[in-house]
Amino acid sequence: MKNMKRYKLNRENLDQVLNQWNRKTKVYVPTGEGKDISLMPLLEGQRTEDYINLTLPVKEFVFEQKEKLFSWEKNDDDLEVTNLAHQHAAERILFGVRACDTYGIAFTDRFYLQEFLDPNYRSRRSGTTIIAVNCLRAGEHCFCTSIGTGVFSTVGYDIALTPLGSIYLVEVATQKGQALIDAAALHFTEAEESLMEKKDALRLQVEESFPLKMDLSNLWEDMAKTFDADFWLREANACIACTGCTNVCPTCTCFNVVEENKNLNKGERVRYWDSCQSEHFTRNAEHHNPRDAVSRVRYRIYDKLKYIEERFGYKGCSGCGRCTDVCPTYISIIDIIHATQKAVRENQTPAAVHQTTKIRHEIIDREINMKKGLYTPDIATITRVKQETPEIKRIFMKYDDPELHTNYEYKGQFFQVTVFGEGEVPLSIPFGPDHTDEFVFDFKNVGNVTNVLYHMKEGDQVGLRGPYGHAFPYNALKGRNLIFVGSGVAMAPLRTVIEPVIKNPNDFQQIIILASALRYEKLIYKDEMKEWEKIENVNIKYALKDPSDHIDAHIGYVNDLLPDLGLNWTNTTALVCASPKRIKKVARDLMDLGMKPSDILVTLETHMRCGAGKCGHCKVGSHYMCVDGPVFTYEEMMALPPEY
Amino acid sequence: MNDISDAELIIVIGSNTTEQHPLASTRIFEALEKGAELYVVDPRKIRLTDFAHAYAAIEPGTNLPMINAMIHVIIEEGLINKEFIEKRTENYEEMKKSVADCTPEWAESISRVPAETIRQFARKYATTDKAMILFTMGVTQQTTGVKSIRALGNLAMITGHVGRPSTGINPLRGQNNVQGAGDMAALPDYLPGYQRPEWPETKERFTKAWGDFSCLRGRNIIEMFNLMEEGTMKAAYIVGENPVLSDPDQNHTIQCLEKVPFLVVQDIFLTETAHYADIVLPAASFLEREGTYTNTDRRVQMIHPVISPVGDSKPDWEIITEIMKRIGMNVDYQSPSDIMDEINSTTDLYGGITHERIKKVGIQWPCPTKDHPGTPILHVGEFIRGKGLFTINDFEFLGDQRSDEYPFLLTTGRVTHQYHTGTMTRKVWTLALEYPHGFVEIHPKDAEEYGIQMHQPVKITSARGSITAPAMVTDRINEKTLFVPFHFAESPANRLTGQNLDPIINIPALKVSAVRIEVEQ
Repeated sequence: MKNMKRYKLNRENLDQVLNQWNRKTKVYVPTGEGKDISLMPLLEGQRTEDYINLTLPVKEFVFEQKEKLFSWEKNDDDLEVTNLAHQHAAERILFGVRACDTYGIAFTDRFYLQEFLDPNYRSRRSGTTIIAVNCLRAGEHCFCTSIGTGVFSTVGYDIALTPLGSIYLVEVATQKGQALIDAAALHFTEAEESLMEKKDALRLQVEESFPLKMDLSNLWEDMAKTFDADFWLREANACIACTGCTNVCPTCTCFNVVEENKNLNKGERVRYWDSCQSEHFTRNAEHHNPRDAVSRVRYRIYDKLKYIEERFGYKGCSGCGRCTDVCPTYISIIDIIHATQKAVRENQTPAAVHQTTKIRHEIIDREINMKKGLYTPDIATITRVKQETPEIKRIFMKYDDPELHTNYEYKGQFFQVTVFGEGEVPLSIPFGPDHTDEFVFDFKNVGNVTNVLYHMKEGDQVGLRGPYGHAFPYNALKGRNLIFVGSGVAMAPLRTVIEPVIKNPNDFQQIIILASALRYEKLIYKDEMKEWEKIENVNIKYALKDPSDHIDAHIGYVNDLLPDLGLNWTNTTALVCASPKRIKKVARDLMDLGMKPSDILVTLETHMRCGAGKCGHCKVGSHYMCVDGPVFTYEEMMALPPEY
Repeated sequence: MNDISDAELIIVIGSNTTEQHPLASTRIFEALEKGAELYVVDPRKIRLTDFAHAYAAIEPGTNLPMINAMIHVIIEEGLINKEFIEKRTENYEEMKKSVADCTPEWAESISRVPAETIRQFARKYATTDKAMILFTMGVTQQTTGVKSIRALGNLAMITGHVGRPSTGINPLRGQNNVQGAGDMAALPDYLPGYQRPEWPETKERFTKAWGDFSCLRGRNIIEMFNLMEEGTMKAAYIVGENPVLSDPDQNHTIQCLEKVPFLVVQDIFLTETAHYADIVLPAASFLEREGTYTNTDRRVQMIHPVISPVGDSKPDWEIITEIMKRIGMNVDYQSPSDIMDEINSTTDLYGGITHERIKKVGIQWPCPTKDHPGTPILHVGEFIRGKGLFTINDFEFLGDQRSDEYPFLLTTGRVTHQYHTGTMTRKVWTLALEYPHGFVEIHPKDAEEYGIQMHQPVKITSARGSITAPAMVTDRINEKTLFVPFHFAESPANRLTGQNLDPIINIPALKVSAVRIEVEQ
């Protein structure tokens, strides 16, 4: 904030000021000794000034290790859901925070309070005042000056104190801070300009005293050249996935959602801090995991040093060094930076394309058609169920609150569907804009949640959040040839485009649907396909593994059908949903025929937990599959780090 | 523990240190940073092998031949520490004779560790000043467990790697307080402080403290279960142990627990064992009680409650005190520190360790008096028994071996994210997710031979029983060798393990069972 004031405070009066504030608002101060320093309520311990840093970042006050999201209860067959996000607010003052952590707060503010607003974070953050006390010495692994986040706080605080001999220079950054100064006005006098000069001189002196100085000006280029360097294997071999590094990081924001205290009639959904360093973090159903040990360990370092900044404009590492302090196997972000720079000096390796290509980020403020906040589903009741194939069901449902249907806007690519007491899954939207008063989802019984959903029947209640995701660009498809490629249940995400296309076939040239499955019985939308085929410019072709009497199908892969389509390939857009492996095969064949990779649209489904770009599970490079995707062009897909 | 960081050579035998003792392994990494070398002996290429300078992919159950061969090489090549042997030990010549035939070639034929590798281990160990050995259950849970440890003692003594910083043979304890439990005589043949019940002064000392009691040797867990089976043992009281999953031969264990007329189980959660109990006593967890733990370093450390006991649960000491009162004993412990006072007066090792002294930093026993600083290193200058005794440890095959019927050797162990029988860790979602279920590690060649795919269920059968677990195909395990973690009740490794015991102290050979596999269709 501009025009904020500067004051000075006698150091000996600090305790009086803290006590005065504490009468109205709980003040937390650094307490403990050695490396064991935590913020404790003022009156419960002995305040210390003899500390380098807090053992844990202050992040835990605004983004708690465990937080309740909502509770649900069933009474006489009727479900009630209560949002618990706003029950956290308590006013408190956090005193003695260092620059690395105020920087962390500035980032988490950006992260949680923009785009989709995180209600839990806001409720805690709004009641929290942060008072920085600037550092005068460095710890063993401190490197904020190399990163550029310290040594003195520049963001993320309400008031900052700099010790200058017998006084503190007090700088106010926010109205919240000013209100505190006003509440103890007797102790603060206006600071003369010369104190700022003293502060700057002190800053230079402290910066000079840092044992660790690194030149990171070429870091991104260096990282691009060492993505596949040998040293990663050694780091990966050392990591035991204890997740200590992410637990002490001021900029780690990931969480998992878990059902707790549940029985048949009630339960809660909570979120816990989760860690990209655990094996399960990116594990999909049926053991598929896009990250191996090397990419797991490397991902954290790239996220901290590059991906976060690339997407959010804030440094992803505040240079506090805590991850290096806690690692039981000596994995050190500092050593890795050194190893990166050394590897570049010693070997001339070309930069990895996915580290140098920019891809669209979807950064917009998002409003969502939900009644109870971002993480709390609205209740819908199942209206009918259709057995689509022996393994796939279509479940139709309506919101219990009709207003949600009135306000529904056709956008996005998926909903998060809650089975109360079991969990939540992202399900693609297989319907067009006409479905305003009834939704439908097509899914296969593959995991715990889909298994329960699979056995639900008419009248059962589920929860819905959404719609989420970057959808297929329907309007941009007009006037072109379209090819839809989907195998089995993977046709569902394409149907959201197929439906409006079928309604308005004259807006397009040739419309070709390539449906494939192992056997005829496993083909989805068999009845609808027959109807769609009646439209003049719609052509449906089938590819099966086993021959069938029911339809005239090619026996083999869909790829075989492409060359004979005889389309004007430069005016064709392909929409492909399949496994990454199959997408690549189809895309390569299409490109051989003359298609541009930017005209091949793919949908990349993966382990999404929140749908809103917060939980971090679906992040690939600097992209969240749930908000920047799941729809990408093939050109974009190829520029993502090799997790697809 | 900190001595590990200063070692120049660390030999790790039968210990998956990074995964099971992450903080001990931190010291290994510290030592490596300082330039130490790491040698590993294990039937699995555990994580440490990725950092090792030498690795012996040993057959399960054959540590002893390899150790004896190392001794043989050191003697043969004149690398012994003569001065140490002369001044500090006895019975060297007898021992020397006993390993005369233990050539590395002979050891290779049994252990499959190349003779040259054995020589490399021996030479490096003998010629490095600060060489230390770390071991765990991979050495002890064998029919030759005791002999192997004694042989390690011989190895350390011929080279003088005892009683100095960053040397010695160092067991890493599997639990936070297994050392303390042993110290306090949760052992059948000792009273607290390793005082033999048959020593007259022991009886006198404890009779003074406790009143008249029989002061006879007790029974170990294997014997107790056998007595339950025989019907001789009428009641069992199991505290903080889950033998249904942790003891060998699960089917036998369950039969015994079903047979014993009266069973009490005291634990913090309802364990698999508690399901067989007549009475379950809910105990408080470490967060809910005061007391001490003695760690692998012999360091006695305080714990402090941070929450009150949940529900009707009580700290173990309170439950036991109440039971003692109910059966008519005259006890009046008001707090854990009262119990510590009694320990101080009856157990010299703990004589000077009071709650007051260890409030902040623990003390390592022996600590006989209140002004004694504790003892970081044992056997400095003199062994506790006086002269170090060389022992004869001839190898013989006992227990399970591969056969046509059972062509695989199974070894068991743990994974990083689960603890023991999972009574605590499987209740934590994040740990449960990391390892949601058991698995069986199998070498790719064996997997190919049997047509086993990754994650495919495999039925494993021993003479004791069968389990099914999904396959983890990995070249980190030796050929014709399997590994199953024992945490998981759905695929309990200890249904396969047997009652093959070390004849000296009856430790079960959990690390070696002969099994066969079949593909579950």
